[in-house]
Amino acid sequence: MPPVLSPLPFPANLMTLANGLTIIHQHTPTPVAAVDVWVKAGAIAEPDEWAGMAHFLEHMLFKGTERLAPGAFDLAIERRGGITNAATSYDYAHYFMTTATQHLEETLPYLAELLLHAAIPDSEFGRERQVVLEEIHQSYDNPDWLAFQSLNEMVYQRHPYGRSILGTEEALMARSPAEMRQFHRAHYQPENMTVVVVGDMPKSAAIDLVSQTFQSFTPPLDCPRYVSEAEPPITDIRRQEIHLPRLEQARLLMAWIGPGIDSQSQNLDEQLQAAYGLDILSVLLAEGRTSRLVRELREERNLVQAIGSSFSLQRESGLFTISAWLAPEHLERVEAIICDRISQLSATPISEAELARCKRLLCNDYAFSTETPGQLAGLYGYYSILAHPQVATTYPQRLQAMQATDLQCLANRYLSPYHYAATVVRPLS
Amino acid sequence: MTLGIKQSPQTRTVLLNGMVVLIWENPSADIVAARIFIRAGSQWEAPQTAGLSHLLSAVLTKGTEQRSSLQIAEQVESVGASLGTDSATDYFLLSLKTVSADFADLLQLAGELLRSPSFPQHEIDLERRQTIQAIRSQQEQPFSIAFDQLRRIMYGDHPYALSGLGTEASVTQLERTDLQRHHQTHFRPDNIVISLSGRLQPDAAIALVEKVFGDWQAPATPLPVLSLPAITSKPVRAAIAQETQQSIVMLGYLAPAVVRERDETLGSGAIAASPLLTASMQEYTALKLLNSYLGNGLSSRLFVELREKRGLAYDVSAFYPTRLHPAQFVVYMGTAPENTAIALEGLKAEVDRLRTHPFDPETLQAAKDKILGQHALGKQTNAQIAQTFGWYETLGLGIDFDTQFQEQVRAVTVEATQVAADRYLVEPYRSLVGPSAVVKE
Repeated sequence: MPPVLSPLPFPANLMTLANGLTIIHQHTPTPVAAVDVWVKAGAIAEPDEWAGMAHFLEHMLFKGTERLAPGAFDLAIERRGGITNAATSYDYAHYFMTTATQHLEETLPYLAELLLHAAIPDSEFGRERQVVLEEIHQSYDNPDWLAFQSLNEMVYQRHPYGRSILGTEEALMARSPAEMRQFHRAHYQPENMTVVVVGDMPKSAAIDLVSQTFQSFTPPLDCPRYVSEAEPPITDIRRQEIHLPRLEQARLLMAWIGPGIDSQSQNLDEQLQAAYGLDILSVLLAEGRTSRLVRELREERNLVQAIGSSFSLQRESGLFTISAWLAPEHLERVEAIICDRISQLSATPISEAELARCKRLLCNDYAFSTETPGQLAGLYGYYSILAHPQVATTYPQRLQAMQATDLQCLANRYLSPYHYAATVVRPLS
Repeated sequence: MTLGIKQSPQTRTVLLNGMVVLIWENPSADIVAARIFIRAGSQWEAPQTAGLSHLLSAVLTKGTEQRSSLQIAEQVESVGASLGTDSATDYFLLSLKTVSADFADLLQLAGELLRSPSFPQHEIDLERRQTIQAIRSQQEQPFSIAFDQLRRIMYGDHPYALSGLGTEASVTQLERTDLQRHHQTHFRPDNIVISLSGRLQPDAAIALVEKVFGDWQAPATPLPVLSLPAITSKPVRAAIAQETQQSIVMLGYLAPAVVRERDETLGSGAIAASPLLTASMQEYTALKLLNSYLGNGLSSRLFVELREKRGLAYDVSAFYPTRLHPAQFVVYMGTAPENTAIALEGLKAEVDRLRTHPFDPETLQAAKDKILGQHALGKQTNAQIAQTFGWYETLGLGIDFDTQFQEQVRAVTVEATQVAADRYLVEPYRSLVGPSAVVKE
């Protein structure tokens, strides 16, 4: 049972407009303003046949509106010395820009215009699809991308988390601009959107600016949705082996399904406690030279070139992974050693010194990752989509509350040496 | 356009032993970032010792006279700090990031690593093996292969030809005595710049640096002098056939170092006042502007013309790094194999166009504002601030370079861009990687 936390004051201002749009604002002293718009329009919103639509739409948004020519937004930001980009994941797509504060009022309307009124011109559709296909081709030349994609497919056999966010050539070639407009108008609506503003701008000015520019949303359209199917849990060891040409070393990827933010069986506090506890375990295992697996497998026994671990928290599921780069002849041995060290986590609570190290590392990492307005804006936006933005700043406090026995329980519950997925990549010889 | 961020460090101090200390006080976050630069790097390597500086960086944190690799790692990781070493072409770097309360102890450790590394033999053996594996692993990425090929054809025997890792042949031969000799030659206080940014008080910080490094004596011998063979431009085409999903196409042009004149009697990295300085700074700045115009950002020429309008690539860009010795002005693209020839033509046409289509005033101004804005936004975090100013000092550019660069950008004329393009961007080296059917000539 996690301890009850007394709530910390949330440092940002949070409000919801009448149309359902969420605005988050925080004042910071640097003369820079970062805006990050998060939309619940990630790959999980796609039905199977529309795989890749969310990411392709992200590309097509920059092709303008009836009032804005393709490229006009990019020029408007960059000629004022700003930077901008976008990214699509499973749970969200987000669009961000950073400029000198004095330029925000003139530039934000351009971003809002694209998001609310994207034209998705027929004439640009085919051409931009070529760009996305090149993005796919580039990823196919990357062994680590291929390995991770295969692992995902094996872990999530029904759920869209198992798909590639980029989609496939086949799926993309079958899509039309009309379908994309449908997807855009279904999902890019105010109740699905959070606009985060962090920088040297007072609260009232920021809220006024955002509410004025994010106004005239087009009426929503319906569109095919993802139909959820139950995902079978991993009840044995799922295994897959891939051979790739020109590979200079083997990869071993191991994965365990963990908690997502949404859960039927636990409340938010419990989900976060589990998720952050798995963060601690990932650091304990493979972050830094004194971590258990780096120390044993790289430094002492020279069985791997590199080894890493992470827990990825998403809405509907989390994924705990361990990844190693190593010579092919060590694959079986390393997998066996990792399984043994995993089972030790359930058997024996970790020492106070190790626990303190992990907490400190993660807390400092959190501080080091929230220095700039852009980083802060991203953090708030991410949590706004996944749960509530106020959760974002509770991370250090929740970590500190973790006990060694909590971690032992988590390992016992989520990290079994008998139930996991493993992808092995070997050179094609 | 200015962000109003303070343009130069708050203090610059030179210790009695010659070490330069730059301090930027930035109380907003409880962080201290330190960047300690040694004026060394792979520029000092011959082909048979290629990889020496990198191997040194891998082994430096693995033992001192007082501590083992594990003890060093424990000290850093138990306080959640980060400490790392890197080797670049123009310098060796030790980077440190802590919360302010832990900084003094970690700086003490950094001092120990720099002054009295022990180079344990088993660590050298481990890291040598790891490096050889890393060299092989570079062959997995088509971009790395293409860039490696480009560097080799442009630089020949010059140290800039190789990736910092070295070659299997050279790394296999590196011995403990090589590391010790390199360390002894270059790791001396009068060859070091320490750049700090974060929640620290300047006087206290200088006192701390004095405490850790003040009694480190510079040897009586003069600083080593680097002389490298001149590089002449002889553009060629090179191709590597691989049955990849994409072709990688790169064009490279030899281009000026950040300054042309260097006063050798003052040692590597220091420069003399020279009437040629202004002229070469103008050329460098004009080419920086041209490179940014071509390949930086979503409104850049290559992005718009080759990706947005023609759908030829996802990844298309340009770079022109700031270097002590002649640098590379590069444009590149990843494209579908059947578009390899078109991609090559497209890239070349855009560079050629710089010479035939002078900027109109609006385009020139937009290009200036873009590069200045991005330059400013690259100095937001403490680590970025410490890195930027420490690096300029290390290259011998002086603490005012950041301000001067911005002034120089504002002063670039259309004529200056034309002169620079006519001089440097005429005939490129070409590097291709892709399926044999499309890359062979």
